[in-house]
Amino acid sequence: MTDRTRLALLLAPALLVLGGLFLTGLGLTLLRSFRYMPALGLTDPDLSAYVAILTAPGFLTSLTLSLWIATTSTLIAATLALATALLLRQTFPGRAIISFLVQLNLTIPHIVGAIGILYLFSQSGSFARLAHAAGLIATPAQFPILTQDPTGIGIILLYVWKELPFITLILLANMQALGDDHESVARSLGASRWQAFRHVLLPMLMPGLLAASTLVFAFAFGAYEVPLILGAHAPKALPVLAWQASTDTDLATRPEAMAMAVVIALIGVALLALYARALAKGGSGAR
Amino acid sequence: MTRLSLHGLRKTYPGTGQAAVHGIDLTVESGSLTALLGPSGCGKTTTMKLIAGLIAPDAGEVRLDASPITALPPERRGVTMVFQDPLLFPHQTIAQNIGFGLRMRGLPPARIAESVAAMLSRVRLDGLGDRRPAALSGGQQQRAALARALVLQPRVLLLDEPLSNLDPGLRDEMRQLIRSLQQETGITTIVVTHDQAEAVALADQIVLILEGRLAQQGPPDALYRRPAALAVARFFGGVNFLPGRSQGGLFHSAVGPLTLPPGAPEGDHVLTLRPEALRLGPGPNPRTARITSVTFLGTQTRVGLAVDGTALQALTTPDLASALVPGGEVTVSLPPEALWLLPPEATLSDPGQPIR
Repeated sequence: MTDRTRLALLLAPALLVLGGLFLTGLGLTLLRSFRYMPALGLTDPDLSAYVAILTAPGFLTSLTLSLWIATTSTLIAATLALATALLLRQTFPGRAIISFLVQLNLTIPHIVGAIGILYLFSQSGSFARLAHAAGLIATPAQFPILTQDPTGIGIILLYVWKELPFITLILLANMQALGDDHESVARSLGASRWQAFRHVLLPMLMPGLLAASTLVFAFAFGAYEVPLILGAHAPKALPVLAWQASTDTDLATRPEAMAMAVVIALIGVALLALYARALAKGGSGAR
Repeated sequence: MTRLSLHGLRKTYPGTGQAAVHGIDLTVESGSLTALLGPSGCGKTTTMKLIAGLIAPDAGEVRLDASPITALPPERRGVTMVFQDPLLFPHQTIAQNIGFGLRMRGLPPARIAESVAAMLSRVRLDGLGDRRPAALSGGQQQRAALARALVLQPRVLLLDEPLSNLDPGLRDEMRQLIRSLQQETGITTIVVTHDQAEAVALADQIVLILEGRLAQQGPPDALYRRPAALAVARFFGGVNFLPGRSQGGLFHSAVGPLTLPPGAPEGDHVLTLRPEALRLGPGPNPRTARITSVTFLGTQTRVGLAVDGTALQALTTPDLASALVPGGEVTVSLPPEALWLLPPEATLSDPGQPIR
């Protein structure tokens, strides 16, 4: 067996999955978004589905909501993850327990977490009842609206809770690989603890932090199940709109659902490209 | 010009149970270039980190001139440490790296640029200021790391194994650079090394650390010719050791009485003689030796000898050794002025330096 055939055989499963499932799926989505669905008698591709969704009254609101959710949860999760990683890098009693607790929720599915948030934070949830029992509020209904609210607080809460350990883990691995020698050098060169963090450790962690944050952002921007459970009736996050359109009994809405999926994907890819450029510019010297 | 002194400095890393540094007392004279010498794992780097303030001692004090700095954070000590790896900041250019400390001090950018440019040329990195560290060779990176420390004009400069990651050719160049920069600036400098030849070639003063304790301190030739203990002699390549008794100017040992230099101490001792001082041929204290081995080492030849069943080694020139064959006999002499007496047991104590 030549090296080339061996390589081809080794890559075959991955290529099959990528080509067979991902590319075919992407192709079909694109075709349908251009209203090309021979089964329904649509054989004349056009852009009307895109025009329809982009000019629909709620589209811009939904897009803004999705961007808001993704940006806010990524920023909060990344900041808290940085603090957590810095804390867990120290040795102190109880470190192992905290480390375990932080990693525990990596194993919990998003949807389970979402339902948990609903049970805890909704106006009929545990915290509302506790606050009522403690006499802090007159009726549970006075509890602040934290879930299924129009600004997506419940969704952001879930994403921060769920993605914080993921970013923390990546940062910790990064810190372990870097060691603390660069900071020691910085201190010895006259940098205070804060200056060594700000001018040496943070820039060196940036590539990893950006990579992890991009993944979190892409997920929070494109996933539908969490905003479906924890989102308000209106406005709806963009992926929820796409999901509803694609499961509508009226098959005529399919092209619009597909067009929305394409728009979500395009925005995601555009952001990834921006990130890659920022990385190439800012971190070219970083390993 | 700053004198650095350590007083009973002690450090045990948590969980190891064994002290990395056992109460070191040490004075490094102002403006000197001192080598902190010792085998790997003897506590040299720990001592440097204690001086730099990167770790805290369990006991003891570090002083610059008369003032203790043990409680000061590293950035306020005026002590700068250069690590074994260059550890340049990968996200900064070489010029930014060299200017780092000055930026942290809040100096105006124009002043920084000026100092950095002067430093770049001093370490022969002209024109490389805009490069990223990864674009430089190992030797260039090491010079940039040195420049990054020197530009601050610290009171004390610590260099941790600055040559060990370099190719032999670059090592010489770097050694000369360190030497000339130190002489120019007069900054009190400590160089850590595990290589006795490097310490001898580089430093005015050598501090030998064995097993976390100060074994001997002095100028290179003192440690070389007049070791304070067996372990010191061994570390500097000593191989000839004869246990015996000194009495009335004679040393009684397994090879018979040997004439000692005047003023030699009396009593039980271990006599040592550097292999290059053991002369092949007739002379004072002559003995007949059987040749056990002849090893060509390039510039020198090592000759294994047996005198009355006692093994000795001589280092000689290849010319002189060319006639020697294993199994043959040769007359050797042990010049009294090259004989040195060591305390009998393997103690590390140096009469001049109290050890706790």
